[in-house]
Amino acid sequence: MERGSPFETGTSSEGELLVSFKAPITFENAAEIWEGANNLIAQNSNGSFVLDLSRVTRMDSAGVAFLRLFQRLCRRRGVRFRIQSAPPSIERFLDFFERDEPAQGPPSPPKGSPVARLGAFLVGRAAELQEFADFCRSFFSVAARALRRPGRFRWRESLYYLQLAGADAMTILFLITLLLGVVMAFQAAIQLKQFGANIFVADLVSLALARELAPVFTAMLLAGRSSSFFAAEIGSMKVGEELDALAVMGFNLTEFITLPKVLALMIVAPLLTMWANFAGIIGAIGVCGVSLDITPYAFLHEVFTAVTFGDIAGGLLKAEVFATLIALVGCFRGFQTTMGADSVGRQTTAAVVSGLFLIIFSDAILTVLFYLLGW
Amino acid sequence: MTTPTAPEDRYALCVQNVSLGYGEKMILENINFCVEHRQIVTVLGGSGCGKTTLMKGLVGLLEPAKGRFEVYGKDISALGQGGSFDWVRKRTGVLFQSGALIGSLTLAENVALPIREFSNVPGDMVEEIVGLKLAMVRLGGYGGYYPAELSGGMKKRAGLARALALDPNILFCDEPTGGLDPIIAAQIDNLLLELNHLLAITMVVITHDLPTIMAISDRSIMLDADARGIIASGAPQQMENSSDPRVYDFFHRQAPRARL
Repeated sequence: MERGSPFETGTSSEGELLVSFKAPITFENAAEIWEGANNLIAQNSNGSFVLDLSRVTRMDSAGVAFLRLFQRLCRRRGVRFRIQSAPPSIERFLDFFERDEPAQGPPSPPKGSPVARLGAFLVGRAAELQEFADFCRSFFSVAARALRRPGRFRWRESLYYLQLAGADAMTILFLITLLLGVVMAFQAAIQLKQFGANIFVADLVSLALARELAPVFTAMLLAGRSSSFFAAEIGSMKVGEELDALAVMGFNLTEFITLPKVLALMIVAPLLTMWANFAGIIGAIGVCGVSLDITPYAFLHEVFTAVTFGDIAGGLLKAEVFATLIALVGCFRGFQTTMGADSVGRQTTAAVVSGLFLIIFSDAILTVLFYLLGW
Repeated sequence: MTTPTAPEDRYALCVQNVSLGYGEKMILENINFCVEHRQIVTVLGGSGCGKTTLMKGLVGLLEPAKGRFEVYGKDISALGQGGSFDWVRKRTGVLFQSGALIGSLTLAENVALPIREFSNVPGDMVEEIVGLKLAMVRLGGYGGYYPAELSGGMKKRAGLARALALDPNILFCDEPTGGLDPIIAAQIDNLLLELNHLLAITMVVITHDLPTIMAISDRSIMLDADARGIIASGAPQQMENSSDPRVYDFFHRQAPRARL
């Protein structure tokens, strides 16, 4: 053997290959010993082994793991193997682990074939959709009841969420839509300048904002900020058994938890959409003033000619629908949380993703609907 | 590793003149005690007396405002991250109150985590060691499960398996039997005793579970919120008959008479 090896080899009185360990078998040298032992078996695949542990003063779990792996490897290769002269302390140590050997729990949940997993995934999504529909139905029935008895409604809670989802979001929404207005005005200006139709930048930006972009961007911001907040908050409440506590005290969870949140988002969404319209137009006015020589007065005059009340109302209606959906899906995902910290994270992500999907999906439906109705 | 000299020869762990707290508020002041090798020391006291704060200090999560924690003669608060800190980390295991398993990893991956980080044993050996540790806490076969799929007692046992992953010399346990049924609690007590006898693990166990205190302690240390420190120390069988009413009441599950 090479110098510094943790074991020596020789021949036992019965002609077996004697492997005599010189040092403790521990985490520090287990890798080296395992590699050496593998080489030994590869070189002596027809022999039989004796492991002499008489000089092993100390052994830890890595030593036990090594002996087990070595035994298994010998069995697989058809090599005979035995241990000799283990000091009593080492023997007791080995016995301690041996005793626990038969413990076998239930098998891990089956993974299944890819087709089965795809099927399970689709069935799972369909069931989720059904659950979400039920959740929405129960929300609207609770909301209708609350309308009849407004005294029972938790207004203070709603005010808190109004501040959180509305007032606190104003700065970032202003910044985003201001830049959106700048970008749109620039892009439009490049094209329209070629036809000398500079002033139509105002029509394009204001119509796009009012009918489409302001409600969609507002809703996306609400999905990212508020829907995720709702999901994480409700999820943490579920993990902390707060929801169970409320349920056993006789509270209706939809009324207590969901209603104030959804109502808050329904109130802030149109207000924030108007705010986004305003910010986008400010951005566009800036660009037009600097690069197209259109005065703010001319720009605004054009805006008031182009944009009708119907355009604004259509945008606000969209915002209302988006806000209701993303608030509901945020709460729904929160309630879907199971035990464990990762579940809260998972549901928060799911709340944002579902929210974004619902925004685009409902936007497509509403756009077609508005077209058909001639709005 | 340097050759240990007295008093490290005798003590695995020493708490010297330690004051611990959060910000300006001190929870414990001028604490002194040492734990001999292979001893099981239980730290007792009512709620809010600073047991968990002491545990946080012992495992290096909370820096003492004053004094030092010595593990095998090394001041752990002065170690910082890296080399020497790893030296202590490898020799200490911590069982947290709720198991503190990483939720995104399976049990096997949780137990394998410190082994992969702090040793260079090959992959198949890691798996074997993980199997041994899980079997040791009677969770053989549960390696593929996620913590969320287990009961509280199972999580605690899995946490113990992870704490023992690297065969630590010192094990810190925070309420190892808290919230468990008496049978599982007795099993955990027995397991801790076996680990102490067979693997020579020194233990510091934070608990207020009387049967556990009586079953496993070589020595107990009792903390008190008002005294902000140790009010009694010794074998629990002696402390049980203490003349100090605070200690007596604790051991006899008695509400202080003055308040009734």
